[in-house]
Amino acid sequence: MNNKIPNFVKTNQFGLLILVIVFICIFSFSTDGFTSRFNIYALSRVVALDIMIGLAMMVVILTGGLNLSLGALGVSAAMFGGWCMESMGIPISITIILVLAFGSFLGWINGFVTVRTGVHSFIVTLATMSIYFGFMTLLTEAEAFRKLPEAFTDFGSLKLFNKYISPLLIISVLTCFVLYYIFKYTDIGRKLIAAGANPDAAELSGISVDRMFIYCHMLSGFLAALAGIMLTARIGAAIPSMAGHLGFDWLLPAFLAPVLGGTLLSGGKVTVFGTMLGAILVTLINNGLYLIDVGEFWVRFFLGIILLGAVLLDRAREYFTVKNSIVS
Amino acid sequence: MSDYILELNNITKNFPGVKALDNANFKLKRKSIHALLGENGAGKSTLIKIITGVYNQNEGKLFLNNQEKSFSSPNAAINAGISVVHQERNLIRRFSVGENLMLTNLPKNNLGLIDYNTVAKESKKWLNIMELDIDPNTIVSDLTVAKMQLCEIAKALSLESKILLLDEPTSSLSPQDTKNLFALLKRLVAEQDVSIVFVSHKLEEVFEICDEVTVLRDGKNACESEQITNLNRQKLVKLMIGRDEQIIKSKKDVNFTDENLLNLQSINTDLGHKNINLNLKKGEILGLYGLVGAGRTELIKCVLGLDKINSGQILLNNKEIKIKSPKDALEKYKIGYISEDRKKEGLILMHDVLSNAGITVWSNLKKILSFLNDSIVHNKVDPYVKQLEVKTPSYQQIVSNLSGGNQQKISVAKWLASGTDILFIDEPTVGIDIKTKSYLHELIIELSLKGTSIILITSDMPEMISLADRIITMKDFKVVGETINNHNYEEMSSSIMGNIHE
Repeated sequence: MNNKIPNFVKTNQFGLLILVIVFICIFSFSTDGFTSRFNIYALSRVVALDIMIGLAMMVVILTGGLNLSLGALGVSAAMFGGWCMESMGIPISITIILVLAFGSFLGWINGFVTVRTGVHSFIVTLATMSIYFGFMTLLTEAEAFRKLPEAFTDFGSLKLFNKYISPLLIISVLTCFVLYYIFKYTDIGRKLIAAGANPDAAELSGISVDRMFIYCHMLSGFLAALAGIMLTARIGAAIPSMAGHLGFDWLLPAFLAPVLGGTLLSGGKVTVFGTMLGAILVTLINNGLYLIDVGEFWVRFFLGIILLGAVLLDRAREYFTVKNSIVS
Repeated sequence: MSDYILELNNITKNFPGVKALDNANFKLKRKSIHALLGENGAGKSTLIKIITGVYNQNEGKLFLNNQEKSFSSPNAAINAGISVVHQERNLIRRFSVGENLMLTNLPKNNLGLIDYNTVAKESKKWLNIMELDIDPNTIVSDLTVAKMQLCEIAKALSLESKILLLDEPTSSLSPQDTKNLFALLKRLVAEQDVSIVFVSHKLEEVFEICDEVTVLRDGKNACESEQITNLNRQKLVKLMIGRDEQIIKSKKDVNFTDENLLNLQSINTDLGHKNINLNLKKGEILGLYGLVGAGRTELIKCVLGLDKINSGQILLNNKEIKIKSPKDALEKYKIGYISEDRKKEGLILMHDVLSNAGITVWSNLKKILSFLNDSIVHNKVDPYVKQLEVKTPSYQQIVSNLSGGNQQKISVAKWLASGTDILFIDEPTVGIDIKTKSYLHELIIELSLKGTSIILITSDMPEMISLADRIITMKDFKVVGETINNHNYEEMSSSIMGNIHE
């Protein structure tokens, strides 16, 4: 009956896209320097990270759980990378592989404990957040690694496309495409979604739900570690407090991006590009509010309000629009 | 005062693309038990939802005690004296019976705290009316399923309900509990000035307790307030499906061999199964009969590796096997399980038809690097979805939007697609309309003729006797009898019930 309206228009992503455009228009007109090359470049560096940590949270929300240890895990992995490069002199490429493996391992711990104990991942990752961060602080004695190889830090400050875009953003966008591919076009991706949507039915259909949940947590650790590397490259050093105490600074954007993007908190539905748009929206609002100069605390206030609004939206979505496709 | 406590006249309800109700009428006589029948998708639930204020009709009028009413919410309907007792329990399991009964109106003492003595006293009053011997302080989760059901009715009464809607109230009750429930319903109608709308797929029950019948078919009245005495089973079925019921041919030609395919030997489980022995032959339909709580589904789940088997052996083709998980069962041993609870365990309701029908075959279909797209899955499952005549607008339709019968077909289709040698089929036709039911029966027979060996769990005696080759009876997590099925209903049912009540 509603054939005249293309399906895309009815999706959550379309609404987000409109919002993104509206905010760009508002900030372009109301602030100086929003569209300056400097600001767009700075935005691209920030949004790259927000997308990555949004994705890292999204793959655990898929299971109906969440990963509070995200920030602590990412920073721990980054500090491990800093140690590899600075203290051990391990080449950059090998370091990156080691860091990603280390992040996946920490994610595996989250997943393994969650699955084996049957305790909600909220509690498990709350504990591991403290454990990872505490252990990392202990080992590094809260000292930063500031003498990283130049090739590595140069990459973080590289400017592409007429000096508008950071290569970090390209990594994040590529990651989105890879994840989309996994969820849409692979056997394993389908199983992850099925396990998240209805663990009982998935188990009885011959899917090893426990293993799928552990994979989700490992993927989350992997992406968080990748975010950690990116942040290290961006600021040119690995610093224990770079994501705030216990990695708290990452939590708000990590939730905001997927929830705004249309990922169901109860699990079983992921929206990779929705998460990307959600992250862009969060970064825009953040940046625009700073430019308007409303002050740090107001920015936090607004982001909190947006998260609450997004969660309400999530509830409404569960009732009304489960009709859209499961991967989008 | 009119004879009718509730009257719905020319009700029409439209949903996008569907006319769920089309000029339907429903009249409930005071102090009567009125059966509301129809196949899945005929409009019964829509009608109930209009009566209980969940939906509003597009056209038509609703009269309660001759006054026109329109309920803005379920609460408004409850306040007007209309209560539904759903298949799903509406009790808070961790609360006591008394707290549940008094929940909306908990008595308080002078300090504003809950007065538990009055709670017990008040709720006892309603339990007494129902002649229910339950201590109001019992926690609900400690009750049997049957008693929970009765407590729901007590709760409805405590809300001063004059109209009770019972939706498939006996689907999880044993024959004895069903009998008790019916006696109670008759008493309530006689003594408490209550009128009852009774929805059930079991026609025997309708004839047993109902006074009048209204049948819906495709949203219209196939009959309206017909006296039950003017009807018989054939007539009623014809009204519901628009044609005669197909009597299922009993499977006379036994085609299974004496070869043992699956053997359970002295199985003891964590759940309490004691010394279970059974063997399934190639191409056989082995029935597992028992009352609810006999441990049949639990036994199958133990075999699938979901719960622990403490001792005993499972042999497949005379070789001992250890099944660690349903994944193991499917991939290593080609054993599948069609769950009794299709909403919770059989299907992923929020996902589409394609991913539900294909879930068991993804592993087999995947290409290099785990690649899999929709068209590969589509090609594999399409023949089975077509064969089962699943009615769906497209493969992208979300399963929760389909009717119960079509949902069940999908949860069967995914196992047909997986091509298993052994299928455990658990209560395949609960809550399914007659047409789909006889269709599924034919399918099960066809499957076994093609060589699939089947263990069939069902509490529906006619179904068991028309389908099974051999019937094992279970009681209290033990095997209490084994009978070769001769497809004679009288003989078989008395022999099986004899096993249970020995």
